[in-house]
Amino acid sequence: MMEEQEINITISDSSHFERSREVNFKKFAWRQFKKNKPAYYSYKILIFLAIVALLSPIIATDQPLYCNYKGVTMFPAFSFSNSCEIKNEDGTKEVLQYDIADWKRLDATSIVFAPIAYAPDKTDYDNADYVSPNGKQIFIDKQGNELPMPLKFKHWLGTGKAGEDVLSGLVNGTRISLSIGLISMTIASILGIFLGAMAGYYGDKKLQTTRGSFWTMVIGIVFAYYYGFSVRSYNITDAFSISGFAVLVQLLISIFIFCLVAFLFYLLGKQIGKISFLNTRVYIPVDSIVSRAIEILISMPLLILIISISAIAKEKSMINVMVIIGLTTWTGIARLTRAEFLRISNLEYIQAAKSMGYKEFRIMFKHALPNALAPALVAIAFGVASAILIESSLSFLGVGVPPTTVTWGSLLNAGREQFSAWWLVVFPGLAIFLTVTIYNLLGEGLRDALDPRLKK
Amino acid sequence: MFQYIVKRIFIFIPTLVAITLLGFIISVNAPGDAVERMVQSVSAGGDMGAQSVSIIEQKKEWRAKLGLDLPVFYFSLTSLSRPDTLYRIIDKNEKEALDRLISIYGNWEEIQNYHRSLNTFYLSQISFVPDSNQLKQYDKNKVLETLNQLKSEATALKNTHEKTLIEVKLNKIKTLLAAYPFLESFKPRFEKVKHDFSLLESNASVWKNYIPRIAFYGTKNQYHRWLFGDGGKFSKGLLLHGDFGTSYVTRQPISDVIYSKIGWSLFFSMLSVVLAYLVSIPIGVRAASKRGSRFDKTSSIVLFLLYSMPSFWLATLLLMTFANTDVLSWLPASGVKPALGYPDGASFWEMVKISFPYIILPAICYTYSSFAFLSRTMRVSMLEVVSQDYIRTARAKGLSENKVIWKHGFRNALLPIITVFANVFPAAIGGSVIIESIFTIPGMGSEAIYAIYNNNYPMIIAILTITGFLTLVGYLISDILYALVDPRISYK
Repeated sequence: MMEEQEINITISDSSHFERSREVNFKKFAWRQFKKNKPAYYSYKILIFLAIVALLSPIIATDQPLYCNYKGVTMFPAFSFSNSCEIKNEDGTKEVLQYDIADWKRLDATSIVFAPIAYAPDKTDYDNADYVSPNGKQIFIDKQGNELPMPLKFKHWLGTGKAGEDVLSGLVNGTRISLSIGLISMTIASILGIFLGAMAGYYGDKKLQTTRGSFWTMVIGIVFAYYYGFSVRSYNITDAFSISGFAVLVQLLISIFIFCLVAFLFYLLGKQIGKISFLNTRVYIPVDSIVSRAIEILISMPLLILIISISAIAKEKSMINVMVIIGLTTWTGIARLTRAEFLRISNLEYIQAAKSMGYKEFRIMFKHALPNALAPALVAIAFGVASAILIESSLSFLGVGVPPTTVTWGSLLNAGREQFSAWWLVVFPGLAIFLTVTIYNLLGEGLRDALDPRLKK
Repeated sequence: MFQYIVKRIFIFIPTLVAITLLGFIISVNAPGDAVERMVQSVSAGGDMGAQSVSIIEQKKEWRAKLGLDLPVFYFSLTSLSRPDTLYRIIDKNEKEALDRLISIYGNWEEIQNYHRSLNTFYLSQISFVPDSNQLKQYDKNKVLETLNQLKSEATALKNTHEKTLIEVKLNKIKTLLAAYPFLESFKPRFEKVKHDFSLLESNASVWKNYIPRIAFYGTKNQYHRWLFGDGGKFSKGLLLHGDFGTSYVTRQPISDVIYSKIGWSLFFSMLSVVLAYLVSIPIGVRAASKRGSRFDKTSSIVLFLLYSMPSFWLATLLLMTFANTDVLSWLPASGVKPALGYPDGASFWEMVKISFPYIILPAICYTYSSFAFLSRTMRVSMLEVVSQDYIRTARAKGLSENKVIWKHGFRNALLPIITVFANVFPAAIGGSVIIESIFTIPGMGSEAIYAIYNNNYPMIIAILTITGFLTLVGYLISDILYALVDPRISYK
């Protein structure tokens, strides 16, 4: 749904004249969308899933939300620090480490647990070895007495081999699946919309430049790549062993340097293009370049490509998977945006904007883009579904994703070892199936709502 | 038409080159050292020192065989500080350590000196065998332990680039060398290492790292060798002989592996396409011809759900239900034939009969997703046709509904789903990775996964390249089919 909100923002940014028209169309589309019951209910379920995903760190965690222990009040699940110092009456100090404390057997004055009192990656040894949801679950208290499971600690959807709580894994898997869909499709839509727009708007014969600035730019891109990525290659690879965030920071620095150097060469090229002989006009075949790139990507088996790229990453991380999926799945969005821009660039209002002397980029992204977004939006909704499928296939096969991260796919894979543990197969699979169906329904609903031409 | 085909083929060439390049980039950046693995699998275990010399020889041989002693490509973008000859270093970790040293200090001359003196120090160590007379005075085990420690420290030093770590290791070697008087002989060599390292540090020329340079290697590179071979010495080349190189796992030629594995994948993808067409065409046509009927609505919902169904979930559910001794043990869970193989002298039909239960579940999983897709496509295209004028004319003429639909409508609605057939062959090479690995079918999909688990990159490049090629050919064929079936389409 983030995508849709983004679109609304772009629309409301448009000039006043456009806004009044667009809002009407928006209202019309929304009404159409609401009429489509399956799509509308999918939208509501998706909002619910998004809330679950956002709140998952406090819905499913073994750390209590609130705890009063020996007079000290703590909020472990919300706290950024990981320990708390408690002074005993006799003056000795006791340190309570949030992540390893045995909360369930703590003599707390009062304690409030999360709705699902288990973390996805921790194990409940007392209920290990595949305990079924309606099977006998036990709780061993501090004195070692075996008690029937209290309701607040129940494993609602059973446990895995080592006693992992399945429901907790599912809730956290929601966050991973939705963020995979969101981030990878953000990357894919930025790439796809930009490249598709360029290809469709300029075609092969419209983007003109001088011979001098063209070749300066080609050399400039080599230099930009060199300073942005070659020189900094070890900074980036080393960041992988630190954290996903560090990788992101390093990549952003590299991209910034790349853009900076490329821009300097662009300025230089402008000057060089004024020299005679070098000032001959040349065309840049944007459309051919983008179309070839799309052709290359779609003629390779997507899953094998993604698996082999993610297998070469030294450190396995979810960020890798998101980036790789984003970089390989933009083709559908680009193709649709390109086709739409081909159509729009010949319309009168674009000609009018050109005759007003607006800059090309302004026409492209401010005037043409809002009208070209509808097909891309549909492709994005389907793209999220396929990104979630790809990620769960990867974790199902156990390649490219960090082995400690609990996802829907990895839960399902664990269920393959023991078919009698049906809850490990049915529930995660159902979660994947449900989410994919929701996104597919949304895609269909958007297509029908945004493109009235298709409705006959 | 002919001109169009020729033009398309010319457009193919750069695309194919780009595909092979992409595969190559992936394989070059792959983790692990292929040579290391080849040698390890030849001779496992044994004492480190005694083996080292023969291992180095073996590594050299394998590197030449696999072409890894060549630069990767025709040219590369490097810095002024980097030499053209870095690719000659055999060990991958050692190469990376040197490259990182260059990126820190930028003075190749000094780094090279340091590396050479380190190498002489290292080699003198591994060939060193203490005199039995010298050993008499000391505890033999302790001496051996010290020597082994020295060796491992020297090896570690070769793979290290961080200044602090290098200093720690140098100090450690120093204390180790001081332990026994007969180790004195190593001291001068060690001092040279230390001296060279301090020179390296003091003469740093980092600026050289910031000046780009393009190094040309000519045709003696891995990519060229992969395409054209090296004159038949080790590799015949892909273009002339279809030689994809050697598998890192089995050491067989890749093409032999593909030849032995492709059968089942081809079988399943053909079978699934035939089955999918057989079921989806009637469903699609019926749903479209009775638009809005109960059949249309239910089939739409079921098809939509099937379309969104993850194949690995369906496969696992099917296995859980029909190949589970606790529920229904009707069908075997994995493989395509009994574990012991077919009985001796079994005829073809007996083999089919034996394999049949193995094929049912994978065939369902292979088929259902393309079946859902095809039915939906068929329905949409039939709907479009039914709204055409000539269908109305046919009805107005008083033709029976069956005749209108099947004779006039159906043929024109078939167009969009003809194209799907062109995807059969690329799908067979890529295989259905997930289904094949769930049902352990010995096909290309499980081979691809196996190759990725084992870093068998020649295999992965081969799969990517062949699939890319076949997909492009498939597009061309479907374009031609289109023009043949529909006279309105002409390529001019």
